[in-house]
Amino acid sequence: MNWSHVKLIFHREVRDQLRDRRTMFTICILPLLLYPLMGMVMMQVAQFHREQHVTIGIIGYENWPDEFPLITEVKNDKIHWKKLPAEGAMVESFAKSDVLSKPGDSEAPITQPSKLSSAPMVAEKVLRQMESDAIIWVPESFKDSIAQDSLVVLSNQRWERSQLAVQCLQERMNEWHANWLRNHLKATDVGANILEPPKVRQIDASDAEMKRALVWSKILPFVMLVWALTGAFYPAIDLCAGEKERGTLETLLCSPARRREIVWGKLMTVMCFSIGTALLNLASMHTTASIVMSQFAGLGAGDMVAAMGPLPLHSMGWLVLLVIPISAMFSALALAVACLARSTKEGQYYLMPLLLVGMPLVMLPMIPGVVLSPGTSIIPVTGAVLMSRALMDGEYTQALLHLPTVSTVTVLCCLLAVRWAVRQFESESVMFRDVERASMKQWIRNVWRQREDTPTTNEAVLCGLLILVCLFFGRLALGGMSLTWGSIVQSTIVIQLAMILAPALIMATILTRSVRKSLRLNRPDGVELAGAVLLAISLHPTYAAFASMVGAEYKLGEQTIGMLMQFDSIIASTPIWSVLFVLALVPAICEELAFRGFLFAGLLRNGGHVRAILLSSILFGLSHGVLQQTITAATLGLLIGWLAYRTGGVACSIAYHCIHNSLSMLLAAHSSRGSGVPNWLAWALEQNDGRIAYTNAWCTLSVGVSIALIALFATKKSFATSLNQQEAEWRRNSSDMDPNLRFRKNAFLP
Amino acid sequence: MDLVQVQNLCKTYPDAVQGEFRALDNVSFVAKAGEVFGLLGPNGAGKTTALRILATILKPTSGSVRVFNYDVSSQADYVRHSIGFVSNNTAIYDRMSAWEMVEYFGRLYALPDDHLYPRMEKIFRRLQMDDFKECPGAKMSTGMKQKTSIARALIHDPPVLIFDEASLGLDVMVARALQSIVLDLRDQGKCIIYSTHIMREVERLCDRVAIVYKGKVIDSGSLGDLAERHKQDDFEELFFQLLMLDDEDGAEKTPVLSMPPLNGAIAASMGVGPQ
Repeated sequence: MNWSHVKLIFHREVRDQLRDRRTMFTICILPLLLYPLMGMVMMQVAQFHREQHVTIGIIGYENWPDEFPLITEVKNDKIHWKKLPAEGAMVESFAKSDVLSKPGDSEAPITQPSKLSSAPMVAEKVLRQMESDAIIWVPESFKDSIAQDSLVVLSNQRWERSQLAVQCLQERMNEWHANWLRNHLKATDVGANILEPPKVRQIDASDAEMKRALVWSKILPFVMLVWALTGAFYPAIDLCAGEKERGTLETLLCSPARRREIVWGKLMTVMCFSIGTALLNLASMHTTASIVMSQFAGLGAGDMVAAMGPLPLHSMGWLVLLVIPISAMFSALALAVACLARSTKEGQYYLMPLLLVGMPLVMLPMIPGVVLSPGTSIIPVTGAVLMSRALMDGEYTQALLHLPTVSTVTVLCCLLAVRWAVRQFESESVMFRDVERASMKQWIRNVWRQREDTPTTNEAVLCGLLILVCLFFGRLALGGMSLTWGSIVQSTIVIQLAMILAPALIMATILTRSVRKSLRLNRPDGVELAGAVLLAISLHPTYAAFASMVGAEYKLGEQTIGMLMQFDSIIASTPIWSVLFVLALVPAICEELAFRGFLFAGLLRNGGHVRAILLSSILFGLSHGVLQQTITAATLGLLIGWLAYRTGGVACSIAYHCIHNSLSMLLAAHSSRGSGVPNWLAWALEQNDGRIAYTNAWCTLSVGVSIALIALFATKKSFATSLNQQEAEWRRNSSDMDPNLRFRKNAFLP
Repeated sequence: MDLVQVQNLCKTYPDAVQGEFRALDNVSFVAKAGEVFGLLGPNGAGKTTALRILATILKPTSGSVRVFNYDVSSQADYVRHSIGFVSNNTAIYDRMSAWEMVEYFGRLYALPDDHLYPRMEKIFRRLQMDDFKECPGAKMSTGMKQKTSIARALIHDPPVLIFDEASLGLDVMVARALQSIVLDLRDQGKCIIYSTHIMREVERLCDRVAIVYKGKVIDSGSLGDLAERHKQDDFEELFFQLLMLDDEDGAEKTPVLSMPPLNGAIAASMGVGPQ
């Protein structure tokens, strides 16, 4: 890598972007103008809101009891009172309609309103005629019996102003009532003090500065993400898709700069603008918000002002530090995505998906209660945001503790994104993509005609996503069932057969020539099968320990624990063979055929065994609904995937999966049943707080056994020979095909 | 001296509809120092693909391509230092002046300042570019842009120059200027690969040509040789006849790998059959 090339490209690109007025406007001018303008508008809206008042008409105010001030006299600048005469044309029409009349008493005088009848049209008309947002009617009898007779309030809840009027009226009424009570109590021995609630004096341990940091540390990372992404995206599109469009990319590609150097040069430029935009926006927003809030200070919004006041300097420093990893990550991502686009127009379409991917990662830390922990620190972006918040809160030990994981994850993600971007640049099909001939019919015919023995990588990924979507809707549909053995059987069978196995099986039948090869069905080798069974048994204690660790880190909810207990007791009261069939064998076969079969076969292409193991286990993990299960299943999936890779088929992984599930079920059922440990198993199992667990001796021993078995699989020769056989078969198949296809086939040989 | 050696070059692209598209099919030719080698063919014949492979922008699927005796796949960095590539796809930057553009590429070629600036002065003078030295790319005319591209390709004084349909869209004046620049470079001993579909240019510039059609070289040799072999003095007519002939042959025979080139000598040098 020639860094002088990188530097040259970086300098040129930065200068080029600085000369572009549009980019400069979005990146520099917009943030400087946006927030002050937004602040101004906000203040004006607030002003308008304050000055807005509602009109309430009052009929029969002379009926108000004399000894109390009329509610209209309670001072309130929000309500404009309008005294309406009890007589007059409008009120006549009001009275003539049945709005305020008793049923069956159409000629009743208006002084006897009792109940609103169904004449909303007239009511609305009256409100309009009276130019009031609400009308309050004080009946004649109100003077004599305040508590018994009701006031009638006519409003239209469809109008916002009318809603507001009723709300204000209610407040006034409460206030008036409190005064009325007070006056009454004064006359008695009890005194008015009895009405006052006990006084509370709050002492807050945190200082105002820290509290401000809390509010800002939730808002600012979000703002920063959006702007870091925007700031990265527009230059990235211009530097990749834009250059492609203008034809300058090819000029650069035939220069001495290597693709990797070009990517790094462009990446630095994008990062530079991303950081710049994010910081400018932060500064501008923070300054404006502080000023606007101080304006509100005099208006009785003390808490909010205290919370949104200027951020302490050191907190700001930590936030600025956070910009760098976030910008780096999004710059690399944006650059890779922008490479895919043929034109700037196409590039714009990719912004939304990218934003949607990034959004949850920043939303997660905003959820109350989410703090920096071993679990959250491994989530990209989220970990970094939580870390900066911990630093802003002054929890330095906590931050230092998680620094290794957060920085490793961040650096790893950045490098992966950069590698992806470099790959995009090195890929001819991406860099010199022509407009594809869009003929759906021909494309489908082509997919059918050129089907191969195993699925393509894209088909495999599509299958995985399809399974996840099916599971999502399937679980929603099956969610409401009560927990009985019948419902467990029904939901397990439906989920396993219809939502996991069916997509894989259908795709294998339609999209490939050989269902057997697509699902990686193989005749198992006896030794390998025995090895897989033994490994499942010997690794189960380790898995159980891992699962309880995960359970301790991510606590299960009360409801889930209750469900699990119920589930265990149902298993305990059901014949064990049917439990093992439904919950061990069926899932093992269906899940393995889908994840280690179809998906694996597609992902394994072009020597992508690492990709196949990783991606299949992630999708396998995601297919389990609960987070804790997702983590443990994904981890287990890595091992099963590796086993499937080494043995060249699904037979061993089915055996492993089935034994693993069976052991879990047997332990759960026996624990729940409360039956003791049989003597012949005392060396491995013990009763512990009513639950059956592995003995320490067996736990230790099992690790050794597992390592030995894994070593066996890692070194076993049969794998190499089976691979050679596959290759030979490929070659044999390809030699009697037409040369066009043979060429294509050869490309996939390892 | 053979500065460019192309042997059995094949290039295939994946294609959504056909499954695979063969852009180049066993193409072979050589170009020497001090000659203009014409790559001739209708649009979509594969000329640009071949030249992009020479410029290391694309990688060959099979076959051997050597430029200045460096292999384009394994010694791409050296190849890029030995060529100047001008194509209608190699545009110039809109927001950079001609001077900045050439300077930028000079620096990418790691030319020291005391060498770079005198050379830039010289090239700008020779290409009569001093008038629009400071003009940004967006405001240049097509001719100015083309001159800037040529200056960019010449800055490191490469032994091999590749012009891919460089005269496209140029007016007569600029096209003539381009031709005289090419001849001038040839006289300096450069090896020039010149792709075009304009017959007048071929007659005026090229010492030898290869006619490319549907990814294959259907004939090659000097203009005189070709005229004699096909008994046709009008070169445009000759070109047209060759293409027609190839279409007729293609209709009878299977399309892949079985079409022998017309020129026996080249057929021998190409070898038949898959790699």
